[in-house]
Amino acid sequence: MPILTLTFKENTIAVYRVVKEKSVTIGRKEDNVIQIENLAVSGHHAKIDSVGDGFLLTDLQSKNGSFVNNELVSSHWLQQGDSITIGKHTLTFSYDVYEKKPDEGEGKMDQTMVMDTDTYRKMLGKAGQQLAETRDSEQEPVGILSYLAGGDGEIKLTNRITKIGKSPSSEIVVKGIMMGPTAVVISRRPKGYSLSYVGGMTKPKVNGEVVKESVDLKDFDIIDVGSAKFQFVIDK
Amino acid sequence: MIDEGLGFIIMVVIESAGITDIGRKRKDNEDSLFLDNDLGLYVVADGMGGHLAGEVASKLVVDTVRDYMKRFKEDEDAEELENFDETLSKEANRLLSGIKLANQGVYQAAQSNESYRGMGATLSMVYFTDKTFIVANVGDSPIYLVHDGSIELLSVIHNVMAEQAAINPNEAELMGEKFKHMLTRAIGIEETVEADICENQYFKGDILAISSDGLSDKVSPDEILDVVRNERPAKACQALVDLANERGGDDNITVIVLKVTDKHEKGGIMGMISRIIYPLKKIFH
Repeated sequence: MPILTLTFKENTIAVYRVVKEKSVTIGRKEDNVIQIENLAVSGHHAKIDSVGDGFLLTDLQSKNGSFVNNELVSSHWLQQGDSITIGKHTLTFSYDVYEKKPDEGEGKMDQTMVMDTDTYRKMLGKAGQQLAETRDSEQEPVGILSYLAGGDGEIKLTNRITKIGKSPSSEIVVKGIMMGPTAVVISRRPKGYSLSYVGGMTKPKVNGEVVKESVDLKDFDIIDVGSAKFQFVIDK
Repeated sequence: MIDEGLGFIIMVVIESAGITDIGRKRKDNEDSLFLDNDLGLYVVADGMGGHLAGEVASKLVVDTVRDYMKRFKEDEDAEELENFDETLSKEANRLLSGIKLANQGVYQAAQSNESYRGMGATLSMVYFTDKTFIVANVGDSPIYLVHDGSIELLSVIHNVMAEQAAINPNEAELMGEKFKHMLTRAIGIEETVEADICENQYFKGDILAISSDGLSDKVSPDEILDVVRNERPAKACQALVDLANERGGDDNITVIVLKVTDKHEKGGIMGMISRIIYPLKKIFH
């Protein structure tokens, strides 16, 4: 069952477990399950009921209102991480890590929508979070191949795909009778770089191991392609 | 709707299948899909914006991209690319142009018709060239690669939660489920759109799965891995859709599964031949 964590000015005061079939009442008076002794809180301020497999917060027409994630609500289906503000206190609603969360049914924000960029920033700003600038490829970490043998300098792997081989159209040309026109490609993927063997008698090696298909590249990997030798590093 | 087939694209043999299913809760199916082994093109779009607008948007996206890519198949010289990105292959540039065109189409349709206002769609696609496959996406429809027994997400999820997770994993966890369905990018919402793209080498036995979030919200990547490894594409698609429906079917469910069943190996004799032909080609050119 989910838990409610009561905090005041970033200090945790108490933790309550929400139980099925039993309402959790919140208010200033003693007969509430969660009692908050503060003048900003009404005697019977709000309650949380277990309905079906979800939990519903209802404001009991309190004087100062109930807020979920900084929005005034009269009733609200609680979801993982919701932050309920009652007066100056905050209750955070969260499920246990392994607990099955209810499916989001109709009318409970299951509709996909596009976030307006301004609203998004405002919301994040309010939550005290770092602004999420639209990520573009320039901000992703870039991999670099430094020649250890067979050439000089370094090559920035800014392309989505970098070809290594004998063909003059390769980004990195390595000569050799056994070298394929394109012997190796390095792909830039969301989670990092991946090196693949393409063709030719010369198979690449990463840290001394022959690559028959593909392998994910890590910082400081040593790559052998025929007579050329590189070190792969991520430029942070 | 189910579609399946076996086809050849220059160097590769692909077995593929795709299904779109309305699910158990929605009245309309706003997803669209397209797959063609001869073209080497596989597309899923998940539309949004009620009263049929979502359907219109996703269909427009899929049709635009399909027709655009067909042009190059029919006429190799049909080049009219603006803003050619030097860091990408020719084919990847074509794909991005197709996405831009689809975005313009949906955006204009949404602006010119009151009932379509605010409509949009996600777009996730895979395109095979003779040696590589290109993955491009806008929105949250995932594209998975199964290679060597493991599954990897090749698309970039453009929603609030995923983007926050990239910055601050702890806070993203606290943001709650609702942000999962809040996209930061989609086709047709703004005048321009930027897609994420990557290009990869393929190998015999590689499997790709493209789906809408109706599947990925209900079925984990490991479960997808298990199904696609053990079943042929058509049966795998059906099994995945059934699984999502058994778990509620809250959204439309669309999935394309494709398997690289054969690849023109360039080792051995073929390798020798290509090494002989290659210099000859250079002489005759």
